[in-house]
Amino acid sequence: MNFDFDEKELSIATKMRALFSPDSKDFLARGESNELQQTRDSLLQWMERLRQAGYFDLGIEDGKNSVALVATRESLAAVAPSLFLSVEVSTRLFGRLISVYGTSGQKAAFLPSIQEGRLIGAVGLSETGMNIESSLDTLAVPAGPDFRVSGEKGHVVNAPVADWIAVAGKINDRLTFFLLRPEHEGLSIGRRLSTLGYDGVAISPLSLQNCPVSSGSCLGPFEDNEPLRKARCWEDEILTAASLGLMRSALDTASEYAKAHKSGGKPIIAYQEIGFKLAEMLTLFQTAQLLAYRAAWMAEMGDRENEILGHCAKVFCAESAEKITSASMQILGQHGYLRGNPAEEGFRNAKYLQIAGTSAEISRIKIGDGVLERG
Amino acid sequence: MEFSFTPEQWMFKEQVIRFARKEIAPRSPDHDLRGEFDFQSFRKLGEFGILGLHFPEALGGSGADVVTTVLAGEALGEAGVDGGLTLAYGAHTFLCADTIFCHGTDLQRERFIPKLASGEWIGCMGMTEPGAGSDVASITTRAEKRGDRYVLNGNKMFITNGPMADVAVVYAKTEKDLKHAGMSAFIVEKGTPGFSAGKNLIKMGVRSSHTSELIFEDCEIPAENLIGQEGVGFFMAMQTVEWDRSALLAPFIGGMTYVLNKCVDYARQRYQFGRPIADFQAIKHKLADIKIFIEAARSLCYRIAWCKDQGRPLNHLEAAVAKLFLGDWSLAPANDAVVLFGGYGYCHEYEVERYFRDSRLAPIGGGTSEIQKRIISKLLQWT
Repeated sequence: MNFDFDEKELSIATKMRALFSPDSKDFLARGESNELQQTRDSLLQWMERLRQAGYFDLGIEDGKNSVALVATRESLAAVAPSLFLSVEVSTRLFGRLISVYGTSGQKAAFLPSIQEGRLIGAVGLSETGMNIESSLDTLAVPAGPDFRVSGEKGHVVNAPVADWIAVAGKINDRLTFFLLRPEHEGLSIGRRLSTLGYDGVAISPLSLQNCPVSSGSCLGPFEDNEPLRKARCWEDEILTAASLGLMRSALDTASEYAKAHKSGGKPIIAYQEIGFKLAEMLTLFQTAQLLAYRAAWMAEMGDRENEILGHCAKVFCAESAEKITSASMQILGQHGYLRGNPAEEGFRNAKYLQIAGTSAEISRIKIGDGVLERG
Repeated sequence: MEFSFTPEQWMFKEQVIRFARKEIAPRSPDHDLRGEFDFQSFRKLGEFGILGLHFPEALGGSGADVVTTVLAGEALGEAGVDGGLTLAYGAHTFLCADTIFCHGTDLQRERFIPKLASGEWIGCMGMTEPGAGSDVASITTRAEKRGDRYVLNGNKMFITNGPMADVAVVYAKTEKDLKHAGMSAFIVEKGTPGFSAGKNLIKMGVRSSHTSELIFEDCEIPAENLIGQEGVGFFMAMQTVEWDRSALLAPFIGGMTYVLNKCVDYARQRYQFGRPIADFQAIKHKLADIKIFIEAARSLCYRIAWCKDQGRPLNHLEAAVAKLFLGDWSLAPANDAVVLFGGYGYCHEYEVERYFRDSRLAPIGGGTSEIQKRIISKLLQWT
């Protein structure tokens, strides 16, 4: 047992702090832009910066979570939430699919660009009719030596700005990921969806109609659905870290405001209504942080309970993020209700974290099933 | 950062669970209902080595580290030992015996620790007063030095183990006009003239622990019963907070695991609409929320224990966070467990009812949730 960060974890934290110096604030703000070309440009510029800081050194090739990775992700998610989601989906969702399930040729073709932050990736998983059993309606039928893929995907992060998209589907009822270029024949990328939060993340639906795909452009077919389960797990890890980032940012914002803003001649933090709210926020944040770290550590160790703990962390962190951002907005009063401040932005962003990936409801069912199996 | 226990710690935890399931837990429901302290189980805890786990072997202990000690507390809860007995153990070992061990003279240690570690003597700690709870510095119990003796006058309230304690660590003012710096700690033995305990208070939960007032009326004790020096009592009391936020909280976490296992068994066996209620999403949801609480709380508690093992001074922010979370956030899952059992959950016969009552103490005892929030908000204000 050791609750201190080790040297590796500390050194990454130092690099990340240096990267997000106050003078990078404006640059970071551009990551929240909803203009598509600016989103793409900003994303590529930031990925270059992140690469230089060593952000991509962790967890892409081995596909493993770790305490160091959670702490690193938390730093980015706190200062640039949209940028964080886009970068992570590109590298540690799309990138991990290639590094863990790709052929040696695919790895050679994709990995260098991913690790150098030169390629934006997206992954199409969700479908309208998808349920807890993870059925997929995106299907490939044989067409000579190749396949023709048809299906619909709902909300694909990075799709409008991606260089490559991995689309989950089935060949002869076996899970396969199809690697497609945005301009691929038969693939239509829908218009960018307008969302409650994560303003800088480009999300759109996909439609595939008889897309010709060669077997060389497939990950799989796989014997079972394990890669899909794994992809969901990676997605949840990203969203858990995103929650920590939102919590930290919202707590810092509220705390600074409560110390600076005066009412009745004293800072509002001196009033129990405010001070106690902050205490509850900090308690939730520290608890969520430790739970996320432990879940990551268990995943790294391959502990048999790591999957359940991962779901526990996702639910607790995502729901705590909503509570903390809401309380932060309340503390900021009317200022908190104004568009563009971290409390308001965090409040809008937080809802996504309970919905995306494995939703809070499905996570609870999985935790319940796990408890019933082991009990 | 890493969160593992050693194989020895795991093995020890399993041993404690096996021992407690066989020897202690079967007696818990009855003692809880009757509101009677279980002397036999308490002594068995002593024989097994739990009461003095972290004290040196020379004083009748096992020299265990703090994490292992906390693990034993969690194991007792997980085995189904009621919160009354674990509270009695906590007050005895950590609030009474440990204060003598950490701050007492060699003579005091040799006289009291072996008998407290074995369970032959029972200990308690007296701080709270009818008019001084969270605001401990405003205690009014006086200890006046007269020659080679101190004379104690005052009343202590809500004292766990009070009615049957052989040894009490009592906090009193040696300088009545000073706040924290005027507090000192004393050892008062049962039978000392002028020292008596009030009647056992009937409580909502933790019923097998006895709680009472302690009354001091011109109670004369030898000057050598002072623990440490005059004026450092508050510091000593604060040192027990490390135990309070780890070892005393651990049985709540273990208890929640026990409750979760009970809920799982019940949800599988209970059929409604032709199928076990475990098949319903609403039931899985409750099981999930209990599980999430357990996992979220665990690291908070062990972080305090691990830091104590490293010899670090108590981090008041982390301690308050642990206490606040364990206290306030345990109520909803404890309630979920009762609701999951339906009408049965409301009956004494089912142990979730007892856990629900026991857990209500967590946000009150050892520093209320409001005090934890006050500590956290003050620390936030200063940083």
